[in-house]
Amino acid sequence: MEAAPDISVFRLLMGFGLLLVPVVLSQVYRLGLIRRLLVSVGRMTGQLFLVSILLIYLFDWDNAWLNTGWVLVMILFASFSAIHNSSLDFRRFFLPVSLAYVIGAGGVLLFFNAVIVNPDNLFTAQLLVVVGGMLLGNSLNSLIIGISRYYETIRREQNRYLYLISLGAGPGEARRPFFREAVLAALNPFLANMATMGVVFLPGMMTGQILGGASPDTAIKYQVAIMLAIFAAVTLSVTLALLFTSRRSFDGFGVLQEDVFRRKD
Amino acid sequence: MISIPCSDNVFKSLRERTGPGPWFLEMLRLENIFLRLGNNPLFRNLSVSVPAGGRLLVRGRSGSGKSSLLRLLLGFGRPDQGRVVVMDRVLGLDNVWALRRHMAYVSQDMELGRGRVGDFYREAFAFRANRGMGFRLEETVHLLETFDLDKKVLDQPLEKLSGGERQRVAIILTLLLHRDIYLLDEVTSALDQPLKERVARYFEQEVKATLVVVSHDPVWDVKKFQTLDLEKHGSRA
Repeated sequence: MEAAPDISVFRLLMGFGLLLVPVVLSQVYRLGLIRRLLVSVGRMTGQLFLVSILLIYLFDWDNAWLNTGWVLVMILFASFSAIHNSSLDFRRFFLPVSLAYVIGAGGVLLFFNAVIVNPDNLFTAQLLVVVGGMLLGNSLNSLIIGISRYYETIRREQNRYLYLISLGAGPGEARRPFFREAVLAALNPFLANMATMGVVFLPGMMTGQILGGASPDTAIKYQVAIMLAIFAAVTLSVTLALLFTSRRSFDGFGVLQEDVFRRKD
Repeated sequence: MISIPCSDNVFKSLRERTGPGPWFLEMLRLENIFLRLGNNPLFRNLSVSVPAGGRLLVRGRSGSGKSSLLRLLLGFGRPDQGRVVVMDRVLGLDNVWALRRHMAYVSQDMELGRGRVGDFYREAFAFRANRGMGFRLEETVHLLETFDLDKKVLDQPLEKLSGGERQRVAIILTLLLHRDIYLLDEVTSALDQPLKERVARYFEQEVKATLVVVSHDPVWDVKKFQTLDLEKHGSRA
């Protein structure tokens, strides 16, 4: 199958004409989204443009160290973003969450490349950077859900936590139900998503590969594999992030430390 | 200082249950407690003593520190000054987890999470501290019936129970664990009148353990309790 034709810059600019639809509707119904819309579209275009330059160079040099380094930068940025979008304290969580992400997502990425794809060189930009980006982009949201759900539920359902402790639960035993619920909350969207995949929508990786000229059967194999990888990466990173942070987030009396949460100014 | 009298047979029953090992004349003592909540002084020099088998009813309007009092006893809040003494030991880092195993705490509007009631009970009996107690189905069914629940409730998911059912499920589990001290925080609030009566009478008549009941519900029989009015003994003294 042939790759889809390139889009000329002129035609892409015509694509921006689609923005007229929300802009006009926003004017008519006073949605007040024009400013935010333009900022968001501007950021998206700018960031993707810069990344494309970066990718061009990464593909050009295709140096294993540079590729690995870039994956690490993406992981650090994803951890930063995960904590920034939660109610948790940055200084307390950045390192343990990054470490959990490096082991969780990094480990699964290596497995994906080495065992499933099995290429001559594990550290090519095509596999490491592109698949890594896909893995991180799709697991980030769940990582946020998992970590914040755990701490917020313990804070909100403090009576239940106290009750469990008074039932004889030790520190770990009292936190286990909250841990379970947090991990399930992180995984639930994927379970729903995987069950409807292909029926309700065509997933991104598959679409990309078909547009790139791959045959649909190659595309679905990659898609199935990446979904399994994302699922494993989320489970592992959320579990590790909670293991790494949980012990230090409680004092000796079992009380959740107040500085776990970001101070409200 | 408030002292609460208790009858001799309470000691006898306590001794029968705990054997010849250590047992206590005084179960709980708050000693000259000062506690601030933010800039708000909650307790100023509060002292209370509850003997073994004694019963304390804590009253006071909302915000007077009723729940904070229970949290102090559980070691979940630390006083700014003063000491909390449980079973002759000053509550501290070294003994708090062990002492909590003698207490049961139930609050209002209990959230219990998800999963079947029976599994929830079994999980509590699988806690390291409770191993060797054994989950006794017969006693469980008896208590369920006492509080007007069918034994089928054991197969129902916790999240499908009504507030009142959940409340009773929570209370029953603490009774199955036979604790020495019961800390009850407005436990009857989600129940209708006949069930309020049943819960209050059960604790007043059947439970020999030390009771600390926080409630403004007139269902509790004041004659059976020593009362502590936080508005008199707390910050507004």
